[in-house]
Amino acid sequence: MPKSPLTRDLLFALGALALLAVLPLVFPGKAFSDFVIRLSAFAIFATSLNLLIGYGGMVSFGHGLFYGLGAYSFALLMQKAGASIPAAFALTILINGGVAAVIGAICIRLKEIYFSFLTLAFQMLLHSLIIAWTSVTGGDQGLTGGLPRPPFLGIRLDDPHQLYLFCCTVLVVSLLLMRHLVQSPFGYTLRMIRDNPRRAEFLGIRVWRVRLLAFVVAGIFGGVGGMLISLFVSSAYPDFAYWTVSGEGVFMILLGGMSVFLGPAAGAGILLLLNDLVTRFTEHYSLVLGIVILLFALGLRRGVLGFAADLWAKRAATARVAASQARPAA
Amino acid sequence: MLTVENLRKSFGGVIAMNDVTLHFDAGSLTAVIGPNGAGKTTFFNLITGAFPPDAGRVLLGGEDIAGLRAPDIMRRGIGRAFQIASIFPSFTVREAILGAVNARRRWYARVGRRFPLAEAHAQADEVMELVGLSARAEARSGTLSHGDQKLLDIALALALEPRVLLLDEPTAGMGPEERWQMMETVHQLWQRKHMTLIFIEHDMDIVFKYAQTIRVLSYGKVLAEGQPADVRRNAQVIEAYLGAHYRAGDA
Amino acid sequence: MLLFLVAAGLSLIFGTLKVTNFMHGSLYMLGAYFAYTLYNLSGSYAVAVVGSALGVGLFALIFERLFMSRVYGADVLMQLLVCYGFILILDDAVKIIWGAEFLSMGMPAAFQRPPVMLAGGVLPVFYVFLIGVTLLVAAVLAYVITKTRVGKIVRAAAINPTMTSALGINTAVVFGGVFALGGLLAGLGGALAVPVRSLVSGMGFSILIESFIVTVIGGMGSVAGALVGALLIGLVRSFGTIGFPLFTEGVMFLFMTIVLIVKPSGLFGKER
Repeated sequence: MPKSPLTRDLLFALGALALLAVLPLVFPGKAFSDFVIRLSAFAIFATSLNLLIGYGGMVSFGHGLFYGLGAYSFALLMQKAGASIPAAFALTILINGGVAAVIGAICIRLKEIYFSFLTLAFQMLLHSLIIAWTSVTGGDQGLTGGLPRPPFLGIRLDDPHQLYLFCCTVLVVSLLLMRHLVQSPFGYTLRMIRDNPRRAEFLGIRVWRVRLLAFVVAGIFGGVGGMLISLFVSSAYPDFAYWTVSGEGVFMILLGGMSVFLGPAAGAGILLLLNDLVTRFTEHYSLVLGIVILLFALGLRRGVLGFAADLWAKRAATARVAASQARPAA
Repeated sequence: MLTVENLRKSFGGVIAMNDVTLHFDAGSLTAVIGPNGAGKTTFFNLITGAFPPDAGRVLLGGEDIAGLRAPDIMRRGIGRAFQIASIFPSFTVREAILGAVNARRRWYARVGRRFPLAEAHAQADEVMELVGLSARAEARSGTLSHGDQKLLDIALALALEPRVLLLDEPTAGMGPEERWQMMETVHQLWQRKHMTLIFIEHDMDIVFKYAQTIRVLSYGKVLAEGQPADVRRNAQVIEAYLGAHYRAGDA
Repeated sequence: MLLFLVAAGLSLIFGTLKVTNFMHGSLYMLGAYFAYTLYNLSGSYAVAVVGSALGVGLFALIFERLFMSRVYGADVLMQLLVCYGFILILDDAVKIIWGAEFLSMGMPAAFQRPPVMLAGGVLPVFYVFLIGVTLLVAAVLAYVITKTRVGKIVRAAAINPTMTSALGINTAVVFGGVFALGGLLAGLGGALAVPVRSLVSGMGFSILIESFIVTVIGGMGSVAGALVGALLIGLVRSFGTIGFPLFTEGVMFLFMTIVLIVKPSGLFGKER
């Protein structure tokens, strides 16, 4: 009996969550759970960015703004305002949504490269604000003093195992919500706008509003990612709002696949693995990452196997041509 | 149904639409013809809100829509298909039309349920059948042949249940036989749906066979209007556009 | 004024090749580091400036030929990635070769003179030199672009590359040349910055953002616009140092936002 797509996604999500819950038994030890927690933050971030890039055709270079904003809002609420975790969560979502609405309203009226760069410029503005406002944000040292983790609803997030489960749950729920959005009429309208915004207007669709809403939702989920990372490191650092976060987000999306919903999440996983691997051998992670990105952008767009196959085919063809030229004319 | 009064539009120093006044009766089938650059597509653009006119009124069913933006105008019952088929390449035919139906019904921003909404299917199926694309329902729009893409473009406009349907050169880019097929489809859907249909066309054989009335534009002004038989006898029209070949009596 | 040089390069590249050189800031950084090394090696600031400008120009040319040209037709995302990859590589390379700490060069002997009195204000000699160089470059650029045959070819290639190539002009050379010129300007900017700024890996990025703001305000593709924009931003900066430093950034943004809303193609730009 065919299940509705919604049920299928729900079951998949539950299965994934169950799997994630069980895995620490197979891989005990901090390295694994730390990896998954970081992955949760990045996967949510990358997927939220893909709402804009892949589904909306809006290439934002400044999505890291919401990651950083989420991290700092949450951390500051916890540290300075003594908020409970659910309250801080909710407030951060409101803050991110509000900021996204304002910035989106300004940026969305622009096309293409101007939109991209303006979003980046806003992100760097936030970054400068964070660095300059030392009294509140601790400047380029980041927030010192750690984060309190008051228990809520019987959950104690100072217990690493509970933190792990919490992050996994947030990951699965966030992805599920975004999935639902993308598969809703709104999501399809967003795709129509991506394909042909002019035609969408001539169908009576208010393109601007749909885009703005997508931007706000993406900003909110980007902030959720920021919250998780801030929870993980018990602080917030200016790096969270640095442009490299946006760049890595874009790379994660391209690495894992723009047109598959879980692509960005997969890309996040691959990139994190690469990060862990490389930093074990050298401190020049940027160099290696840069080379990998170049290889990807210039040749390996169809993946490592695709590249190899192309190379093989080219060699075979060249060999054939050379052979036929070597033969004397019949 | 649709009336434009003293419509004027210039771009830079060029007058594209020069004080045009025209009326289209409800349920009529009108061809708009004229040499290139006469302002036919500009005319469509002004009616559908692609840009606002410098002066004049556009009355749709009595309501002045001049100056409104495209989405607002389309919601009031105008549908438009484009000279170069304007579609959504990554969508299948069925998905695209369902999307257009959603737009019509204002369901397009709903987030509570999954796409496609069950209620939209009936209408989408009907539209596909009207243009003859039912067989290609699951094909990806980007892979359709040129002619099918133009049909899809029309289907998208039809999904809006328009009172007035504007077709910009529906047979553009088609070979001789395909043109007649396309026009036959257009004619049939006009008969079934009884909307006011206005089409821009360059192929005079088609125009004289199908159009009830004709409007001739030249250099942004109305050169002539009326029944096909009268228009093809009109000396000014012959000189400006038709040429001696189409003098009365020639087929 | 350094901002003008960098922004002009960016604007040129964008106007002609229709590509945003996202790693333009790294070229500025390279210019600074090259100049630092050349000055330490040769003891002559003039050698350092000219040498690094040319060196960066050459680097830019190689970069364009080997890497950028492959992604001209592709998605802007791919162009972004290529630049992003290079920024990462260059930032780390700089760290490896020159170290990760801040470097500074100090004022070259030629400029260690008492400041000049100008219009009631005091200006260090070096700044006068900077302004002079900038104006000179601006004038030369304007002349070359509008009056010479080379300039005409560049403009033609910008408007219609296929047609220009059909006329027998090697567009690859043109594109490479423009990119090299843009890089040279950025490198020159970097070299000129060394006496008054400290060097560190990653210094290119903030100037990239500012250059972008300048080109947006002035109009992409317009050198005059870059000059006006840079002047405006310069003014904003000097007022900003009076108050809260963040104020400067905020006002810059405000300017840019207003321009984008009122005249999206910039003060001197053409409609895209």
